[in-house]
Amino acid sequence: MLSVAGAAVIWIALLGPVITLFTHLSAGEIASALTGPGDLDPLVTSLEAGAVTLVVLLAVCTPLAWMLARGRLPLPRLWEAGLLCSLLLPPLVIGLLLVFMVGPYTPIGEVLGWFHQDATNTFLALVIAEVYESAPYYVLGAQAAFAGVDTRLEEQAALLGDRPVRVFRRITLPLAAPGLAMALAVAWARAMGAFGAVVIIAYHPFGIPLQIFTTLAETGLATALPYALVLLVVALPLPLAAYLWSARAERRRRG
Amino acid sequence: MLSADVEVDRRDFTVRAALRVAAGERVALFGPSGAGKTTILEAIAGLVTPRLGVIELNGRVLTAMPSWQRRVGLLRQDPGLFPHLSVRANLTYARSAAPTAAELSELAAQLGIDGLLQAMPARLSGGQRHRVALGRLLLARCDALLLDEPFASLDATLRRSLTALVRELAEQRSVPSLLVTHQLADAQAFADRLAVMDRGEVLQAGSPDAVVLRPASRRVAELVGYLGFVPAGSTGTVAGVHPDRVVPGADPARGLVVSGTVIAARPSGAGWEADLRAADAAFTCRVPDRPAGTVSVTVLDPPYFGPDGTLADRGVRS
Repeated sequence: MLSVAGAAVIWIALLGPVITLFTHLSAGEIASALTGPGDLDPLVTSLEAGAVTLVVLLAVCTPLAWMLARGRLPLPRLWEAGLLCSLLLPPLVIGLLLVFMVGPYTPIGEVLGWFHQDATNTFLALVIAEVYESAPYYVLGAQAAFAGVDTRLEEQAALLGDRPVRVFRRITLPLAAPGLAMALAVAWARAMGAFGAVVIIAYHPFGIPLQIFTTLAETGLATALPYALVLLVVALPLPLAAYLWSARAERRRRG
Repeated sequence: MLSADVEVDRRDFTVRAALRVAAGERVALFGPSGAGKTTILEAIAGLVTPRLGVIELNGRVLTAMPSWQRRVGLLRQDPGLFPHLSVRANLTYARSAAPTAAELSELAAQLGIDGLLQAMPARLSGGQRHRVALGRLLLARCDALLLDEPFASLDATLRRSLTALVRELAEQRSVPSLLVTHQLADAQAFADRLAVMDRGEVLQAGSPDAVVLRPASRRVAELVGYLGFVPAGSTGTVAGVHPDRVVPGADPARGLVVSGTVIAARPSGAGWEADLRAADAAFTCRVPDRPAGTVSVTVLDPPYFGPDGTLADRGVRS
């Protein structure tokens, strides 16, 4: 009983900001902040950029995570250290460095220019910033998910006649899926809340975090908080669904 | 027919094997842990790459073939059931497995898992998991069966019944089967032919009876359970003493009579296990009653080894 009470105290302390958010919001404030024309545009921008970011992470980072987990890369610690470096850099610094990397006067920026694209203050820039802020979380989570799949099961599937691609589809992916879903949920939360890199390289178009920041600067805390609620409400379902699905998959396995 | 003439490099030594297993034949690779037995199975299954050699199965050269094309079934100590699939889905996992409902029911009944087809592997006992894994291999219509100490973690009764079941099924389907074990009793219960391995080399191969009763060398004798060697003659020849091949009392007609002093005695099953010292040799034997002081025992028809450690007497048990 004492341990439950202790856990509850810690849990409530950790939820402190969320509880504070709800205690400082009134229905009137939410309605007046979110019902004007274009008030929900940042929400749409955030959802679209977050969705594209997830697709990029799934397509590009999943194979890397699998190779890291299966020891298919030489000097594996070096690859992991590289990922940790990008995890350790403050997002604001990532944003600054992205300007030097993909800004309009860089080689990459010039190449993008040939296709009439620009990686600063555009939707593309927002996606790039979100990818860089969330990718290390996804890769490390997905690596752990793949590493948790017993390679002897993959060997057994191969001995039963499955080609490597079929082994991946029928064994590796289903067994790693709960872990991958959780890694994706963390990456989603990170992408939706991305601010540091975004404020430098993608000030426009506004996503929700920037909307909160600019509203706070222009009209004060009371009008900014409803956007925080919106961020929470739209960002939560995916991680929650991932969590529930993982738990269900685990229950099904236990029979 | 499965044949494997391979050399596989390991960190500490090279594993060499030249094995032939005919269709329906059961061979056991027996030896201590780390002798290289599993390495041979893994080379046949395509999980390790031999440095040189050729592996053939029914005329197909497997040596450079990926695992998924080999049609070789491997059953390990961990049955390796896919935890996200039901028993039925595990059984019919292989694409080559397309049993009719009647075939599936018949096999499930034969394996004693007929009420479990809808269950998830996590719900099964150890023995049931092995039965499902075995059924999965049989339905996959593998051309050879490789068994890597599959039942080592199970209790003796279950191990015996599952070994008998594999033996029966392998015989029915006429596939070559290769069992790896460090339990001599398991090897004897399963195989028609026994190959004794140590540090990567096959030291002796033959019928289980011949290998156990006439080990080719002192090392093989030690591996198959001889717990002492007593001098027999003046030329440095010694007789191997297997604890189970000793009877109390002097009976020169049945073997070598040895007198010795009991150093230690401890209960063993329904009898006693005693350490005896005779002249400058010590050996262990099992006798029905607790021995004490100086006793005479008869070592039944023992194998003799020359000074070079090889078998000196080529006789066989009558």
